[in-house]
Amino acid sequence: MANIAATPRYHRRRWRDHMATGLAIGAAGFGLTWLVLILLVLVVKGVGGLSLAVFTEMTPPPGSAGGLLNPIVGSLILTALAVLFGTPLGMLAGTYMAEYGRYAKLTMVVRFINDILLSAPSIVVGLFVYEIMVAQMGHFSAWAGAVALAILVIPVVVRTTEDMLLLVPNTLREASSALGLPQWLVIRHVAYRAARAGIITGVLLAIARITGETAPLLFTALNNQFFSWNLNAPMASLPVIIFQFALSPYEDWQQLAWTGALLITVAVLGLSILARALSAKKVQL
Amino acid sequence: MSLAVRTDVKEATATPAEVAALEPKVSVRRLNFYYGAYRALANNNVDLYKNKVTAFIGPSGCGKSTLLRILNRIYDLYPNQRAEGEVLLDGENILSPKTDLNLLRAKVGMVFQKPTPFPMTIYDNIAFGVRLYEQLPKSELDGRVEDALRRAALWEEVKEKLDASGLSLSGGQQQRLCIARTVAIRPEVILLDEPCSALDPISTAKIEELIDVLKQDYTIAIVTHNMQQAARTSDYTAFMYLGELVEFDDTTKIFTNPKQQRTQDYITGRFG
Repeated sequence: MANIAATPRYHRRRWRDHMATGLAIGAAGFGLTWLVLILLVLVVKGVGGLSLAVFTEMTPPPGSAGGLLNPIVGSLILTALAVLFGTPLGMLAGTYMAEYGRYAKLTMVVRFINDILLSAPSIVVGLFVYEIMVAQMGHFSAWAGAVALAILVIPVVVRTTEDMLLLVPNTLREASSALGLPQWLVIRHVAYRAARAGIITGVLLAIARITGETAPLLFTALNNQFFSWNLNAPMASLPVIIFQFALSPYEDWQQLAWTGALLITVAVLGLSILARALSAKKVQL
Repeated sequence: MSLAVRTDVKEATATPAEVAALEPKVSVRRLNFYYGAYRALANNNVDLYKNKVTAFIGPSGCGKSTLLRILNRIYDLYPNQRAEGEVLLDGENILSPKTDLNLLRAKVGMVFQKPTPFPMTIYDNIAFGVRLYEQLPKSELDGRVEDALRRAALWEEVKEKLDASGLSLSGGQQQRLCIARTVAIRPEVILLDEPCSALDPISTAKIEELIDVLKQDYTIAIVTHNMQQAARTSDYTAFMYLGELVEFDDTTKIFTNPKQQRTQDYITGRFG
């Protein structure tokens, strides 16, 4: 052993090992630094504006006090509707791909197109919904915003549903079919149950993705300075308000933008942690 | 050829009373099976007698699991798998496209090599299949679950924790849970595909005892790599080699005085 350790070859290898490890740690640190800096700035700038008023008052005109109640509620409504439309569609498509059409040509085509949709720029989705809904209806609306977000939700849910169902071992499907279960019951009671945590994780990640989307909403739900439940009318949302307020010259608006950004980030962070916790639980199972 | 052998056996070994009782529950005739273009089974003929245990032995890849998987048409889940010939269950050809697969599988239950408890409670693992076919009041369903667990020699170990996940059980318990699940829907035939290969000797012994009890009510087919297990548990044994059914006979005969040289070589450990 001592001889081997003394050879130049061994030293060179050890040196390379240290180099590679150092580079990997450096790269990870580099990436993390920016993330931490972003979070730090958000917290420092955003926390100052946090108050009860943020959650109870409307967006103010420049120069007067106010909060973010209407965009917060708007974002919740838009996200909820998008998940409501997108999740069943995505799950059904993913179920077809993993269960009924596992060996079908159509599945490969759908998977390919879905992957394109998954990485499609969200502004394109916004323009698309603008054309098919806003232009046709003649005005911006919350419906259009929800549809645009739903289009972003669908590919994420399709992908995770398919992947998670494919992870369910075939032996489990065989075992339940061997009891005489028709395929739809095998899927409902056994495959979904085994893949549940993974699919829920996918939906949470989809929510996290759309929570911060601005571009598709600019062309669809637009914005609203007032509180509105009307889905046929424009609706405020946090990302669009942040976009508008951050670009404004008014300091109080800019402060609200920082606070809104902090709220979104915390929400997305919370969702991601929840998704993580769920998928960790899945592994145990 | 195998057919002829089988007829010989009946005449040679069974007492007249037994001959009367030997009723084929499942008859496999001229069975060929294909994975795509590959022929995995060639012209197999075999009978499973009512209330008897039939063991299928042979080296890996000889087609014994494939044969078993035809008897409940579980192969149908996959494209490009195809069976030709006849498999008669009580005289009905189950390979016919008109067969209702779900009803067939309710009649012909199967336990797999790897224990496959469903991701639900122990109780539901068993009640699940029952609820599918029968609407029973809760008390009766409880009785069915208990009965199935008792038959699978698992009741004493789980009666305090029926609400625990089926996945929390040990491997041997999981396999008995799967047997209980199969028994609960009251099939007529039970197919066991290497049910003990993942289990320790104690669990194996329990399952073998179980097979002995179960055959009073069911017709059983078992695929096994373990020749002692075949000798211990079965009444009849079929030896398969390279997709052919080489010899089918009374288990004692197969293990003491086989007719075919290849069977002799296999059971004496000369190959396989």
